[in-house]
Amino acid sequence: MSVLKLPQGRPARWLLAVTLLAALGMSPAQIPTRPIMPQPVRVNPKDLPVAFSKPAPTSVSDLREIQDHVAALVSRVSPAVVEVEVGNASGSGVVISEDGLVLTAGHVGEWAGRKVTFTFPNGKTARGTTVGVDEDSDTGLMMITDPGHWPHVNVGEMSHARLGDWTLALGNPGGFDLKRSLVARLGRIVRLMPGVVQTDCTIFPGDSGGPLFDMYGRVIAIHTAIASSTVENFHVPISEFFDTWNHLTAPPPKPPPARPLAYSGLSVNDDAAGCRLSKIEKSSPAAKADLKVGDHLLSVNGRRIEVSAMFRHWLADSDPGEILQLEIKRGQKVLQVPIKLQTQPRSTK
Amino acid sequence: MRILLVLLAAGLSQAGLAQNEDDYPKLPRARYHSGQDVLNAFAPISAQTSNSIVELNVKENTVALGAVVDNNGLVLTKASELKSGKLTCWLASGKEVEAQLLAVDDDDDVALVRVKAEGLRPIQWAQNQVVEGQWAITPGLADTPQAVGIISTLPHRIRPQRAFIGVTFDLSAPQLIIERVEQGFGAAKAGLQRGDIVLKVDERSVTNSKQVIEILQEFRQGQKVHIRYLRAQQELDANIELMTPQAGQMGSDSFANERENRMSGDVSLRSEGFEEAIEHDTVLEPWQCGGPLVNLDGKAIGLNIARASRFATYALPASLAQQILAKLKTKAEQH
Repeated sequence: MSVLKLPQGRPARWLLAVTLLAALGMSPAQIPTRPIMPQPVRVNPKDLPVAFSKPAPTSVSDLREIQDHVAALVSRVSPAVVEVEVGNASGSGVVISEDGLVLTAGHVGEWAGRKVTFTFPNGKTARGTTVGVDEDSDTGLMMITDPGHWPHVNVGEMSHARLGDWTLALGNPGGFDLKRSLVARLGRIVRLMPGVVQTDCTIFPGDSGGPLFDMYGRVIAIHTAIASSTVENFHVPISEFFDTWNHLTAPPPKPPPARPLAYSGLSVNDDAAGCRLSKIEKSSPAAKADLKVGDHLLSVNGRRIEVSAMFRHWLADSDPGEILQLEIKRGQKVLQVPIKLQTQPRSTK
Repeated sequence: MRILLVLLAAGLSQAGLAQNEDDYPKLPRARYHSGQDVLNAFAPISAQTSNSIVELNVKENTVALGAVVDNNGLVLTKASELKSGKLTCWLASGKEVEAQLLAVDDDDDVALVRVKAEGLRPIQWAQNQVVEGQWAITPGLADTPQAVGIISTLPHRIRPQRAFIGVTFDLSAPQLIIERVEQGFGAAKAGLQRGDIVLKVDERSVTNSKQVIEILQEFRQGQKVHIRYLRAQQELDANIELMTPQAGQMGSDSFANERENRMSGDVSLRSEGFEEAIEHDTVLEPWQCGGPLVNLDGKAIGLNIARASRFATYALPASLAQQILAKLKTKAEQH
């Protein structure tokens, strides 16, 4: 299984190192320059309309206060929200410094040093690069490399966040569309957990990496995932960016440490009946286990597989040599098939 | 293009995000942004609009809401939800009355219906332009709205779902030479053949496939497009029906987002191809479309026309809805 959390407090240690070097008479400039995470902007709850502090608005005048505030907020923060294109993938991001630091989700950039095209809501584009990714927290950092003074927003913190706090989600669901431009959604924090915050802002593929704002207009989280409920969606809290900053801005390791990938030789897709075996490579573990294209995968090690993505997740978390107990439906028959995973053969990508 | 977002099919622990989500308290459902506690604040708006709204039933099943648009029981609603069968309406008073379909505007999926009832009040149309972030309220017959959200985007055109004539071109050629005619599509039915050279689509001269795609994007499934083509030195004409592909057919990968859409509940049968629509983030069931979308003054900023996706409901802007109303009235009088 993947590690759940990275050690806390790394930015503090990094700052400490800089201080020590300075004390030794070395300039921090001698350290390869790393981007600095802007500090959270302090706010005063008194600056927000009272309606936001109530469990729920109680009058039309409360609603009007909320409306005036949210409408102003949308137009204030929108210019800093970008669509990001990396390879053939599209997601969202938010610019947090004038020189073009962009927060996004880790799974959008995937790894450091890739070319990125950023598209602002007005259609203007800029070029840049992925800086770093932290897979466990799904934080990602990118940077605009074209020179310019970029529209940007403040970052916040979540230490005072409470259930029911109102939030604004922006992003490019479905990809960028100049005629439509950004899509604004309002919601509330419905659950706070370590490493993830849930809101009822309705997000969609393409929103990945887009910002969740608090009512002060500060970025407090980044869109990361959806589940079956339309109104319970997932965002990575800004605190994760502080905690993983050192990792995000570290020079890419050379060569990247390769975790041996478990190999089954099995491809799966979805059809009306569930997770279907779509391809079986010759003399692979799947072929040896006598699996057939068209079989349906019901469960792995006793855990039900409802869609193919679940099996892929499972495989990604498994090690070569591990034996998976597959439950297979073939026609009317249900079969138990053990499959022993191997190391990924070199020739396949 | 892969359009990214992680789909959590098996809970957080599998994605490595947290250990057990059930250990953490959740906001009571009533306090969600469209939960009952929040909806209660909108009661004055519902009180103001409930007599301007009807619930339309086909064979006793509620299929849509409708917006009352005059003092004589004329109602606008979403046309494609009105399947054939006995049409009746629920009113805010609790009465069920008969209704009659008068006319349909196919372009924007709007129907004009007459309701035989007293005491209905026409909805008032808002004069102002909408702004992103303002409340988008979908009132029904009840004391509080069906659901609320905010305006997500300004009005813009909603393209029809991609439909095809069913040919592929030889991309290496300087002209639009048909390389392949897909069986089962309109081009095959209209007799087009491999080697034909396409000259004009919808009366516009074309020289590359990008131009053809751009023109065809404006057409809906079932509509016909005029094509002029060259075969053996002779210019020929064809009217070709556009079709949306079934799973596995050419072009069916453009429906890759369908599974995410399905995860968000149902979307409207007709949810694409509108001249102009406001997008709002209100989570509605398809049957909750067809009625007015109102602002905090209780005035209609639009007519809800489709539940379109996990994140969007479309509303025809008030100005467009009124233009369509005028057209439909003329059409109804001619019959």
